[in-house]
Amino acid sequence: MSDMLLRMQGINKNFPGVQALKNAHFEVRRGEVHALIGENGAGKSTMIKIVSGVYQPDSGDIQIAGQAAHFGNPREAHLAGIATIYQELGLYPELSVAENIFMGHAPMKTRLGLRTIDWERMESGAEDLLAELNIHDLDVGAKVGALNVGNRQRVEIAKALSLDAQILIMDEPTAALTESDVEQLFSIVRLLRQRGVSIIYISHRLNEIFDLADRVTVLRDGETIGTQQVADTSEAELIRMMVGRKIETLFPKQMAQIGAVALELRNLHRPPLTRDISLSVRAGEIVGLAGLVGSGRSETAQVIFGVLPADSGEIIINGAPVTINKPSEAVAQGIGYVPEDRGRQGLIREMTIRENTSMAVLESVSRYTFINRAQEQSLASQSIEQLSIRATGTEQTTNKLSGGNQQKVVVSKWLASKPKVLIMDEPTRGIDVGAKAEIHRLMSRLAAEQGLAILMISSELPEILAMSDRILVMREGRLVGEFSRDEATQEAVAHAMMSEAARQAASAAP
Amino acid sequence: MQSAPRNPTRVDKLRHYLISQEGVLFFIMLVSVLLLATRTDKFLTVDNLLQQGRFMTEVGLIAIPMTYIIITGGIDLSVGSIMGLAAIVLGWSWQTLGFPLELAIITGVLSGTLAGFVNGLFIVRVGVPPLIMTLATLALFRGLAEGISQARSARGYPEWFYQLGQGELLGIPTQLWLLIVTVAVFGIVLARTQLGRALYAIGNNETGARFSGLTVNRYLLLIYTFSGFMAGVAGYIFVSRVSTTRSDMGAGIELDVIAAVVLGGTSIFGGTGSILGTTIGVVLIQLLKNGLTLSGLTSDATIVVIGSVLIFAILVNNFILSRRGNS
Ligand SMILES: Nc1ncnc2c1ncn2[C@@H]1O[C@H](COP(=O)(O)OP(=O)(O)OP(=O)(O)O)[C@@H](O)[C@H]1O
Ligand SMILES: [Mg+2]
Repeated sequence: MSDMLLRMQGINKNFPGVQALKNAHFEVRRGEVHALIGENGAGKSTMIKIVSGVYQPDSGDIQIAGQAAHFGNPREAHLAGIATIYQELGLYPELSVAENIFMGHAPMKTRLGLRTIDWERMESGAEDLLAELNIHDLDVGAKVGALNVGNRQRVEIAKALSLDAQILIMDEPTAALTESDVEQLFSIVRLLRQRGVSIIYISHRLNEIFDLADRVTVLRDGETIGTQQVADTSEAELIRMMVGRKIETLFPKQMAQIGAVALELRNLHRPPLTRDISLSVRAGEIVGLAGLVGSGRSETAQVIFGVLPADSGEIIINGAPVTINKPSEAVAQGIGYVPEDRGRQGLIREMTIRENTSMAVLESVSRYTFINRAQEQSLASQSIEQLSIRATGTEQTTNKLSGGNQQKVVVSKWLASKPKVLIMDEPTRGIDVGAKAEIHRLMSRLAAEQGLAILMISSELPEILAMSDRILVMREGRLVGEFSRDEATQEAVAHAMMSEAARQAASAAP
Repeated sequence: MQSAPRNPTRVDKLRHYLISQEGVLFFIMLVSVLLLATRTDKFLTVDNLLQQGRFMTEVGLIAIPMTYIIITGGIDLSVGSIMGLAAIVLGWSWQTLGFPLELAIITGVLSGTLAGFVNGLFIVRVGVPPLIMTLATLALFRGLAEGISQARSARGYPEWFYQLGQGELLGIPTQLWLLIVTVAVFGIVLARTQLGRALYAIGNNETGARFSGLTVNRYLLLIYTFSGFMAGVAGYIFVSRVSTTRSDMGAGIELDVIAAVVLGGTSIFGGTGSILGTTIGVVLIQLLKNGLTLSGLTSDATIVVIGSVLIFAILVNNFILSRRGNS
């Protein structure tokens, strides 16, 4: 078949204690969007890291357009036309958009006998690349660190395409995006497909696959289970292929007895992203906090948790006003926080699962400040069991886990702290369907049985709608809407989130 | 595939220890001792080795908090100056201010502790990078010591004062006992307590440590203060060993200490390290210094050899680490 651009056969890859890929195969046609799905730890990221030269397979063949290919490092793959956007974003926040796009291959000029970077050509080149992707609202001189996640991702795509890519690989690109950003991303992907670029697309959101992909390949436990035309398959079938069994409800919500107010905020203020916030969460209640990326949800969570202490306003826990100026004080008040950035905030990635799960509860696994290993060990084993974390054992360092399994460690670390109030920032980001249901079930149960008060931030509206007893909406640092579980609909909440942006877009349009 | 965790066999464990950083370092030390012993018969004698134990105590004591600090990704360059300052304050408060000697000792050690606390306070509260802060106080504390001493040295202490620096207990230099106990206690503290766990967490990812609710600032303040305290104690021992106080005491000792810590396998970037490694590092450097001098090498050549061993050990360490990362 001449339209076969990438063909991988008999791929094996071992890590200490795990066979990540077992005789796996995978084929991509020219100009198709090919989704790669599977449970956390199924081997998706490993597969694409082999294509992009990060890992070398233990055995197996890779062909690009019929030619055998060996990539010793990512640069070789990049030069062969394979561009990759990894699960964990990899831009330089201190550098500008243009500098990031041309990192490693900046246009040069010779001046007074010296070869220097041609800044003008770099900036105009960056603008051209962005224009090709129909992106006209991005300043190429802006620092990447100042951009929101959606824009950062567009920069990543432009960077990936700055060397003529034939294959663009995206590993969970939408995990951190809100709906409108997702839409923009999709239109870029469709544009690229029209130009004959092949796209390998990894996601745990099945609806996206039905929206976007032409074909889908399912991995399970490192083996290729099969490849399907998206048009010929169903969500249920894909789930069955992924997990090998049926999953009953996707968002199991257990109705709880709502108790007294556990967390109350009065006029909490720390501009620019937390402005005059007043809200309350009751024991047993799950309150969903919706909003666009950059609306100030995470910042408000961090104000409560003491990472960014408030300028003014009150935090009241179980009826008593408290002062929280650092996270340790929040933890002492029984507040837990599952942060949005698992690699930097949630985990100490170089340390083991055991050490990470006990990190927030060192006090309770210690006697006279001496840490009790056995107690830690059993805590970690419980976590692995409860959230089916795929690991070689409690002594595995968390940077060796797949993305979704890392997220599970963060969640279990805060569940272990037995908080009274739990703030969860994108708790199921990058988590597969089965484990997601498991975490949701756990949230519901903790609320219902132990009266845990949960404030859940999520960019996934179905998750918010299904799990919350009450929904709050933030925009530009302010609370702008409140819905009870019964009155909340996807449209109403989305409208509250976006109306400002929509208005701006409407007035900006010619 | 839920791969079953394989229980490590005894052979695995043995291999783990032999190929650990401490294992390799211990091996290098054994080889060095054997080589040096063939060069001169003055080296491998009980008397000489005990004498070396006496000489290395100050470096050894300061290396303990330095290990803690480097594990968190910090550094303390001012330890030598703090040592000098503590020594001067001791002599000055006894001779010039007329304090009883016991009180003068306490004052000296406290002045060191306070100096360390000042380092910590600026690093934690003002956010001055440890390298800059302690480089500044390296000059500041030394200047203070010189100002107080007015280029006079204090001597003529009563006999009991020399017991710690020159005396023996059960046939072993007194200060060596102190070093052994301190190493054991703080080795266990690092390996087994919440403090130790927190230091590793801070060194690997300070943001993550804060987000876990660890009291990062308190721990950092504590270890810089501890460093000042140990430098103060080392100052006292030094005065007791050489019978006099001078304001240039301890100058340059920070480099010996850092070399020993890094030789012992603690990464200068933070996150890894152990007191056992540091101890072997301290002993190895002292034995090389002594053995090479006894073999008739000039002190310049000795430094070159020590530098080479340091580089060699670091290369081996990196090799082990990368093998572990990939295998
Ligand atoms: N560098 C590594 N060292 C050891 N084991 C690894 C390493 N990278 C991945 N693994 C293991 O290989 C398996 C597959 O991981 P991979 O990252 O490919 O999963 P994934 O399908 O991308 O999952 P997710 O959806 O959670 O991102 C996992 O069990 C993981 O723990
Ligand atoms: Mg992955």
